[in-house]
Amino acid sequence: MSEPALLDVKCLVAGYGNKTVLHDVSFQVMPGKVLTLLGHNGCGKTTTLKAILGLNDRAKGEVWLGGRRVDQEPVSARVAQGLRLLPEGRGIFATLTIGENLDVVADRNCRVPDSRIGVQEVLKLFPALAGRLSTLAGSLSGGQQQMLALGLALLGSPRCILLDEPSIGLAPNLVERLFDMVREVCRSAGVGAVLVEQNVSASMKIADHVTILNNGAVVFDGSPDEARESNFWHFF
Amino acid sequence: MLFLDLLADGVVTGCAVGVVAVTFTMIYSTTRVFHVAHAGIYTVAGYSTWFLTTRGLPFWLAIICSIAVCAAVGALIQHQLYTRLARRDAPPLVLLIASLGALVVIQNLMAALFSPNILQIPADWRVLTVGIGSIRLSMPQILLAVSSLVIFAGLLAWSRYTSLGKRTRAVAANEFLAEITRLEPRRVYITVMAIASGVLAVPGSLTALDHGLQPYTGTLVLLTATIAMIAGGMGNLFGAFVTSVILAALQTTSTLVIPGQWSIAATFGLFVILMIVAPTGLFARRPR
Ligand SMILES: Nc1ncnc2c1ncn2[C@@H]1O[C@H](COP(=O)(O)OP(=O)(O)OP(=O)(O)O)[C@@H](O)[C@H]1O
Ligand SMILES: [Mg+2]
Repeated sequence: MSEPALLDVKCLVAGYGNKTVLHDVSFQVMPGKVLTLLGHNGCGKTTTLKAILGLNDRAKGEVWLGGRRVDQEPVSARVAQGLRLLPEGRGIFATLTIGENLDVVADRNCRVPDSRIGVQEVLKLFPALAGRLSTLAGSLSGGQQQMLALGLALLGSPRCILLDEPSIGLAPNLVERLFDMVREVCRSAGVGAVLVEQNVSASMKIADHVTILNNGAVVFDGSPDEARESNFWHFF
Repeated sequence: MLFLDLLADGVVTGCAVGVVAVTFTMIYSTTRVFHVAHAGIYTVAGYSTWFLTTRGLPFWLAIICSIAVCAAVGALIQHQLYTRLARRDAPPLVLLIASLGALVVIQNLMAALFSPNILQIPADWRVLTVGIGSIRLSMPQILLAVSSLVIFAGLLAWSRYTSLGKRTRAVAANEFLAEITRLEPRRVYITVMAIASGVLAVPGSLTALDHGLQPYTGTLVLLTATIAMIAGGMGNLFGAFVTSVILAALQTTSTLVIPGQWSIAATFGLFVILMIVAPTGLFARRPR
């Protein structure tokens, strides 16, 4: 491989209490590419994303971002360097207005020299939000909430976004639009993405690379075409 | 007009209780700690101001120093007690018990340092009264009402319009998201505790000036404030303040019809009835 990986996860081990959930999980995300991470319920997808961001206190192994090792750094330092998580469920501040949601996050993440995505850019990306800045975020529809959540994750200088089942609760055509947007942002800004999904068919459409987890271990790692032909495809 | 006098007295007390209720609500909805040691801060305020005025400081300067003292004690409780416990995944009940412990320690420390007897802050002007129509209010009462309203309005504006206020509401709404968007919830908790404790020094000192101070009086104030917080609709600052005023006014005016020693029981009885009729409180936001 010639191009260096944007996100390089090496032998990640993580768990809760004395239970180990991830066993030596390794994968790489290239700049501008989408890696789709598939696996059954409870196989450790969310745990993987959290461990990458530093949210699992039992995590061991290496996490490299843009050639720099970050696994000993606190969560806020990793976020400052461009690692972003769109969490499972609704990643918004429900009791704040849309404008306030964007403002509080922008306030902490856009005042750096290399900030590329400000509130204006997010509103350009999601025009549906622009006209309703004083609406309470919690009163938005599921799709609009997810767009706001993605907008919040993109503010500042994102380099690699970790998306935890962003399609849950969205209508099929909305899922497609949201995923197109994710791919568009990745391609145009050179941002990498790890997309955890239950919606296999939709996520395969934008995948550049597929990693399949089973019981906390990587059982497949390759291109989407290879994935469809692999022994693990019958899982889904 | 005895009724009007009692009503005015109740409203003034209610304003002070209102500041306790609003700050208690702020702390609870942000940190999720049922911070009963807040009553201890109220007590510390009185003693700190008493101590400084007896050492010759003018009253206003003593209050300013007490604001700093209370803010520091509040931040210390958050940083040394709650944050440490939260790091070890302590459940809410453990935090409540820790807070009760802190309250007992603070109250007994005040009793040990300054005697359990009633102390009076030395200031001649505290007996001056001002007449408004047929009602007479003492200087401390007028200062108490005005400063409490100013603090209340200030806190509302702070929470609504300042960037730190918005950040605090964001942390209260979704701590996990706040953590991963670098809003630094732990720092916000400490700041909120410092602000909520600091402003408490004003009504704490003025009440002490008006009524004298004793180590354990803060507990009843907090009890009323807690009821106001719940009855006002959890997390609603406006509801907490208004309910405090209503409760305190009821407590004082009810002495016209029932013996004084029953007024607290009557208020609490009313609270129980209210909770049966409107379990989410008087000013709860309608669920959408
Ligand atoms: N906070 C926790 N404490 C203890 N065990 C946990 C915790 N969170 C997850 N687990 C366990 O870790 C395993 C992996 O969970 P994880 O949430 O990573 O799965 P997932 O692949 O994201 O599942 P899903 O598709 O349902 O979201 C599960 O067996 C789960 O029971
Ligand atoms: Mg999950």
